[in-house]
Amino acid sequence: MSKQTFVKGAAAAAVTALALTACSGGSGDGGGEADDGPITWMAMLHTPVTPDADGPIHTALEEYTGQEFDIQWVPDASKEEKINSALASGELADIVSLTVTDSTTVRQALGAGQFWDVEPFLSEFPNLSKIDPQTIEAAKLDGTLYGVPFQKIKTRYGVVVRQDWLDNLGLEVPHTIEDLEKVAVAFTNDDPDGNGKDDTTGFIDREESFLVGFRSLTGYFGAGDKFSVDDSGQVHAAFTTDEFKDAMEWYRGVYEQGAVNQEFVTVQKTNQQDAIAQGKGGIVVTGLFEAKNYLALAESADPKTPMKWALVNDITYDGQPHRIISDTGGGMGGWLALPKSEVKNEDEVRKVLGFIDKLIDEEPYTLMTNGIEGTHYEEDAEGVVTITDQTAWEQDVQPYSSSRPSEKVKTFKSSTPYVDEANEKMAEQEPDAVVNPTQSLTSETFDRQWSTLEDRAMDAYNRYLTGQIEMADYEAVVEDLRGQGLDDIEQEFTDAYAEVNG
Amino acid sequence: MVGVTSAGDAVSAAAATATATDPRTPTPASASVTAPPAPRKRRSTFWRHRTLYLMAVPGIVYFLIFKYAPMGGLVIAFQDYLPFLGITGSPWVGFDHFVRFFSEDTFYVLLRNTLMISLGMLVFAFPVPIVLALLLNEVRTRWFKRSIQSVVYLPHFLSWVIVVSIFYVLLTTDGGSINNLIVSWGLDPIPFLTDPDWLRPMYIFQEIWKGAGWGTIVYLAAMTAVDMQLYEASELDGAGRLRQAWHITLPAIRPTIIVMFILAIGDFLELGFEHMFLVMNSLNREVADIFDTYVYTAGIENGQLSYAAAVGLFKGLVGLVLVVFANRLAKRFGEEGVY
Repeated sequence: MSKQTFVKGAAAAAVTALALTACSGGSGDGGGEADDGPITWMAMLHTPVTPDADGPIHTALEEYTGQEFDIQWVPDASKEEKINSALASGELADIVSLTVTDSTTVRQALGAGQFWDVEPFLSEFPNLSKIDPQTIEAAKLDGTLYGVPFQKIKTRYGVVVRQDWLDNLGLEVPHTIEDLEKVAVAFTNDDPDGNGKDDTTGFIDREESFLVGFRSLTGYFGAGDKFSVDDSGQVHAAFTTDEFKDAMEWYRGVYEQGAVNQEFVTVQKTNQQDAIAQGKGGIVVTGLFEAKNYLALAESADPKTPMKWALVNDITYDGQPHRIISDTGGGMGGWLALPKSEVKNEDEVRKVLGFIDKLIDEEPYTLMTNGIEGTHYEEDAEGVVTITDQTAWEQDVQPYSSSRPSEKVKTFKSSTPYVDEANEKMAEQEPDAVVNPTQSLTSETFDRQWSTLEDRAMDAYNRYLTGQIEMADYEAVVEDLRGQGLDDIEQEFTDAYAEVNG
Repeated sequence: MVGVTSAGDAVSAAAATATATDPRTPTPASASVTAPPAPRKRRSTFWRHRTLYLMAVPGIVYFLIFKYAPMGGLVIAFQDYLPFLGITGSPWVGFDHFVRFFSEDTFYVLLRNTLMISLGMLVFAFPVPIVLALLLNEVRTRWFKRSIQSVVYLPHFLSWVIVVSIFYVLLTTDGGSINNLIVSWGLDPIPFLTDPDWLRPMYIFQEIWKGAGWGTIVYLAAMTAVDMQLYEASELDGAGRLRQAWHITLPAIRPTIIVMFILAIGDFLELGFEHMFLVMNSLNREVADIFDTYVYTAGIENGQLSYAAAVGLFKGLVGLVLVVFANRLAKRFGEEGVY
């Protein structure tokens, strides 16, 4: 059975439930919680399995921090719906992981003061006081810090290519867009897995192509991270720029040669992973750290899989210098926000922040990264980490890794293939990072309209790519969006940008 | 969301109160025949039927709590509702959201999509259970009839997530079995999942696949009530199976068909969110976006709660008008309505 619709279904169920809660709510949650009760945390789940609430990592974290806590896992694919409905109904937790930084609802909720301004408290905590000031700035909205920023590596994305397929066909690792296309087409037509069947393609993309995979590709063509500023100081939405459209034309050409999975618009993240593990395609635009996960997934199905990956972090286009769009908002992966409805007073704020602060210590960081030594991993004399029980690691540890308040505490050497390489290559391309210039600027229209506009642009992109409409139609949609608020957004950001940058 | 369920609730609530009152209907009539002075008698009939009323209580409470109380939330359709300000704190904007909705192009797109699919459902999906029930009714081998019945009921118990996933695996052009078959015949693969032209047939087919068997229950029940003597008599007159079905079975279940039809009309705009949401994607959205999915996208995904509530309220009102209208029509043609 395909997992494709499971998440959507969960969302559907959530809506039905919401129909009840949102309507019958309003009486407010009576019964003030005891101050020393467990901390609740609404966190994103990027893995198919929800970890056991009494699992070893959870217990160990509670032991280390001396603080009981409960995590409410939100499947990542339905996070927008879940978070939006949670914000609407006020059914929040003490800590809410807000990872969609440009969501209309999230921005409105932050702007309306639903959450604590944590900046004044940060200096009281050893780890929180050390957060990179640049990250703090990037995390501010209107000059206020409405949550502890998730600290991430700025540039995790790249292109991963099946090295074994390249070898089979006698091809070189691609370093330019032109070569990337050639490889993609060869993967489609030349039977790279040598099974005699025409069952492979180049790129394996998914439904969110416009927001993740393809967006990263547009960076090579010169497009901005959601927005860009031209020489005259005018702010433009990236999807309206020529660079973006160049990338669209190129990608459509690749698609038309069959070198992108043809029904990617129906493919969810887990389907994408399955397809890659099953060797249906050989190129993925994704976080470089994913290569090890693909390999693990393929090995779980076939321990003798020939799968090998080339991690590419230096694709260039048309002689331009390499640039890479930051997939983490310039190292800021969202906020750990503290809603005032749950965290009632300053003492409670300190308590919750203290808990987050402790999670940034090395021990809990190790727990959430590698697990427990002896159970999940072994560390040798040179500090090289080996995951010994992959299944247990995936079940117990992996879900927590995306909830680490900081991903930059320590880099472990690893015996797992591609881990060290990915870490190095992600760090290597940080200087080429392209960061959204409007991230900490405010535009009222953006907060209200962006989600809707982006949805429509995304539909138009998908339809263009699959050949339903032509570039002129895409441009017509963009023109239409201009009248519906896009012009206002660009103008408001331009003004705000001028104010900040003199 | 407030709007999603509320108005449909009004309809189903109306239907339910109708059924809830059914047992009562004969009583006032008989009471008035025996004794004209009404007020005292009424109390005594109430007392006489107290157990029936008692049995109705859970149903009434259910509707009050889960169907009527949430309707209060509809007031946000007339506000600029902000969750943290609450219903009491949000500013009132009157009919602004309705004006916006009716003046936007999306309104016509949504209306067209909803109507097209609803029409398709009435024309293609509505008759299927009747035909299926007639066929089942003709099966004389008891065990065979029973097992066929169980098999056709089964899809009803699968959730839409499962149904749509099964169809996804069958229909996708990236290695789906149906398309593999089509390609092996030397034809081009058909993008069932993404081609806008295929959305409506696929949607209606899925509805039939899932619901037709379950839908036969009502008709089969009605058919058991047909007087066997009629069949025997017609057999003596030389009527065959087909004749019997046409002249005896179908007329006998006509009231049932009409009641089902009225209910179907009431649900005309109420296609249900879940199914469409699951089959919709960027490429078929232009024909797939219906009121229910739009309420979801606008309300939950894009945070315009008041606007979405207004859309949902509009949809509910139309549903209410339709069911009243269909009921009147049925009565005019001398049939019994739903209330």
